[in-house]
Amino acid sequence: MPRGMYRSRTFRRIFVKVPGNTVKLHYRRRKPSKAKCANCKKLLIGVPHELPLKMKNMPKTAKRPERPYGGMLCSACTRQLLKQKARGG
Amino acid sequence: MALFEVGRLCVKLAGRDAGRKCVVVEQLDPTYVLVDGATRRKKVNIKHLEPLAETIELNSGASHEEVKDVFEKLGLDVFDSKPKQTPPRKKHLKKVKDKTEKKTVKAKPKIEKKDTGVVKEAKGIEEVR
Repeated sequence: MPRGMYRSRTFRRIFVKVPGNTVKLHYRRRKPSKAKCANCKKLLIGVPHELPLKMKNMPKTAKRPERPYGGMLCSACTRQLLKQKARGG
Repeated sequence: MALFEVGRLCVKLAGRDAGRKCVVVEQLDPTYVLVDGATRRKKVNIKHLEPLAETIELNSGASHEEVKDVFEKLGLDVFDSKPKQTPPRKKHLKKVKDKTEKKTVKAKPKIEKKDTGVVKEAKGIEEVR
């Protein structure tokens, strides 16, 4: 039976081929959920979802697109919003 | 009154400088337009531009300075690309080590150790006698 910690579902079970020519079961933490657009709830492009430690060491430009509302709104919603602002304002 | 004529003010919708005001400087072809102003001076697809009502007088293919004057008069900010000041590269001289020298140096001490050992013993015997 695995150690108490690994008996919960917060760990993913991964089968790994090890040098001893056998298949071993490894446990890995689950990744946070994918980023979604605040407006249309579609998945955001250019926004990775990694474990906090890995995200922390990533450069800022790797974590979100370099566009106004990058990482918050998808490109279509950004364009729509800016169009409204240009027309309304 | 064409839509994307030279001098038409518009807002860029996509890309890094989305949401910034720019002016059409030159019409390259039906879909592409040269744009300058608060955005970088670049070729842009008209799909990524939202035309505004105002137009300014500008001769086609105007330089960045001309656009800058007109924009400053209108009180709009202008994008100036800062020249890239790369710090002077420290010229670290490659430490040229002769590979050959290294090898011989290593070999020598080994031989010496053996000789001195033998010589010492011989000396010791003579002194004792």
